[in-house]
Amino acid sequence: MLNKTIVKLAIPMAVGALALTGCGGGDSGSGDAYKIAFQGPLSGDNVQLGQNMENGIKLAIDQANAGGDLGFEVEYVPVDDQGLPDKATAAAQKAIDDESVVAVIGPAFSGPADTAAEVYGAAGLVALSSSATRPDLTTKGYETFLRAVPNDSAQGAGMAKYLSGKVKAEKVVVVDDKTDYGIGLADVAEKDLKAAGVEVVRQSVPQKTPDYSAAAKNVTKNKPDALVYAGYYQDAGPFAKKLKEAGFDGVAMSGDGTNDAQFIQLAGDASDGWLLTCPCTDATKEDATKKFAADYEKEFKQAPGTYSAESYDAAMMIIEEIKKLHEDGGVERQALVDALRAAKYKGLTKEFSFDDKGEFTNQTIYLYQVKGEGIEYQGSVDELAG
Amino acid sequence: MSLSEFWDFLVLGVVLGSLYAVIAIGYTLVYGVLQLLNFAHSEVFMFGGYGGLLALTALIPESTPSGMGSVAYVLIGMLAGAALGGAVAFGLERVAYRPLRRHRAPRLVFLITAIGASFFLYNLAGKLFGRNPLPMPSMYENKKVLSVFGAELTITQVLILVSAVAMMVGLDYVVNRTKMGSGIRAVAQDPEVASLMGVDIDKVVSRTFVLGGLLGGAAGFLFGTNSQVWYTMGFLPGITAFAAAVLGGIGNVRGAMLGGLMLGVVETMTVGLWGDDWRYVGAFVVLVLVLMVRPTGILGERVGRTA
Repeated sequence: MLNKTIVKLAIPMAVGALALTGCGGGDSGSGDAYKIAFQGPLSGDNVQLGQNMENGIKLAIDQANAGGDLGFEVEYVPVDDQGLPDKATAAAQKAIDDESVVAVIGPAFSGPADTAAEVYGAAGLVALSSSATRPDLTTKGYETFLRAVPNDSAQGAGMAKYLSGKVKAEKVVVVDDKTDYGIGLADVAEKDLKAAGVEVVRQSVPQKTPDYSAAAKNVTKNKPDALVYAGYYQDAGPFAKKLKEAGFDGVAMSGDGTNDAQFIQLAGDASDGWLLTCPCTDATKEDATKKFAADYEKEFKQAPGTYSAESYDAAMMIIEEIKKLHEDGGVERQALVDALRAAKYKGLTKEFSFDDKGEFTNQTIYLYQVKGEGIEYQGSVDELAG
Repeated sequence: MSLSEFWDFLVLGVVLGSLYAVIAIGYTLVYGVLQLLNFAHSEVFMFGGYGGLLALTALIPESTPSGMGSVAYVLIGMLAGAALGGAVAFGLERVAYRPLRRHRAPRLVFLITAIGASFFLYNLAGKLFGRNPLPMPSMYENKKVLSVFGAELTITQVLILVSAVAMMVGLDYVVNRTKMGSGIRAVAQDPEVASLMGVDIDKVVSRTFVLGGLLGGAAGFLFGTNSQVWYTMGFLPGITAFAAAVLGGIGNVRGAMLGGLMLGVVETMTVGLWGDDWRYVGAFVVLVLVLMVRPTGILGERVGRTA
């Protein structure tokens, strides 16, 4: 509402200003403005995830502008793809067509990232995603796509590391849900567990299986020390219930697809003790991000969500590189791509740098555990597994 | 597979199969009287799940009830599920099928309408209740209460078995021993002659739908208690139960029960032997093999028309 009013006022004012100056333009110096766009689900089923990230980015931009030492203004441009691949190119085009957009954070989801990255590549506009985790995105030669988050292979590796190093499991059942995500995650976990000398039994239970009791029996009949479930909370819920009924007493572990309060709601007390990995950190728990969490809560009246802090970091890193280029004379889209590729930036959540494919070099995975009614943050897998 | 595992999986299969059997009755009854494959029956089942869920969410106290309280809430949930299932089935027949019968529409139109009604109903449920799965409020502490050849059954599993058997026995009685049942059988055998004999066909068809809907709704509640409730939960159990009805001989009520049990057991045994990947492969191989030998299903088409 407020935004609309501002736009309504702003357009005639801008037109008026142009008329007065006779389109003279060209005054440089302190009046420069650069736009950073965010492409993600800002409407539709996954709007919550999109808002988590948008708020993080807005906070970063506001703080940078308020700092006063930039020498230019940063503006925020939202482009909504609803998290859907078929809406992704149109959304990307919107960002590309606005010539003062110098960088895009996103696309937030892997599917849209896969379709939009090529368009961004052709336009020479950087697309830096802090949440698209599908491993193959960085292997397709997209020229301007950078990923600022560990991919799903890192998550599988983190699971294996924790189970072999800390739990000292000797036999693990790895179950995937037959989705791209689940199979990818389970493959890596299986491979790394075997490499660590752990016996692995691999099983598949397709999503939405009407009856998880037989699947649970199939797990317990192998008498494993631990279970890895690579799938989403909708299925992990009933599966956890049936595992408890079948008398499973080992360590149960799942990934970011299950790392959601919905999992506890569906599984009830059967979810207690489940370990959940995520490339995302809990901004409210780490010392480095506590101030961020407080600022965020003050601004948006809610705690930071999944990937809020990561998006804040991504925006700050981009602003930092814009500043360097600005001081050197000017900010071009392509120059910013090159600068970010080579950048090393220490953010709140982690250190950011990219390899020559645009893949994130820091693959830290964090561990959470279901305790009673909530999901508790444990720390980074590397530190916990020692 | 060791012997104890064999019993474990057999028991799980019988539990699942008894649910399939109850759903399959709904398909077979409607087919018997109308020669209609009512694919929207899976949505009747789904609404049954929501019926139980909504009633219990509104009524159940914060802490898990015990003793007679548990029994009461189970009954409330099951009745609410059956009621909503019956209501949806009734409405379905009135809105979707009766106008077509009036116009003597071809068989294909009924089939397409059934599929359309199914799409409409599950999207409606998604709109009304959200697309995230919901857990059934817990009505009791789900302990293990019974041991069969070393296989331990939980309260939920016993509940499913007992209610399924009760529903099947009750339905068998209704179809074979009551006036309403003889009406259904008469329409199934020959609708024209039945109407000449004074049977109100519209009434019989409507009652048949409601009867199938009551059972389907109660099965939806039981399924939701065993797993969870979501707007597309009817799809897979519905298709399987339809296959079960065909396996047992569509149109034949006892055949549907037998077919449901068989598919449940074969499915679960297949999972036990080769994993969940093969669940439907095993079940449908059996279906094809049986139909090759007996094209009308195991118990033939006793209630329906003889072609």
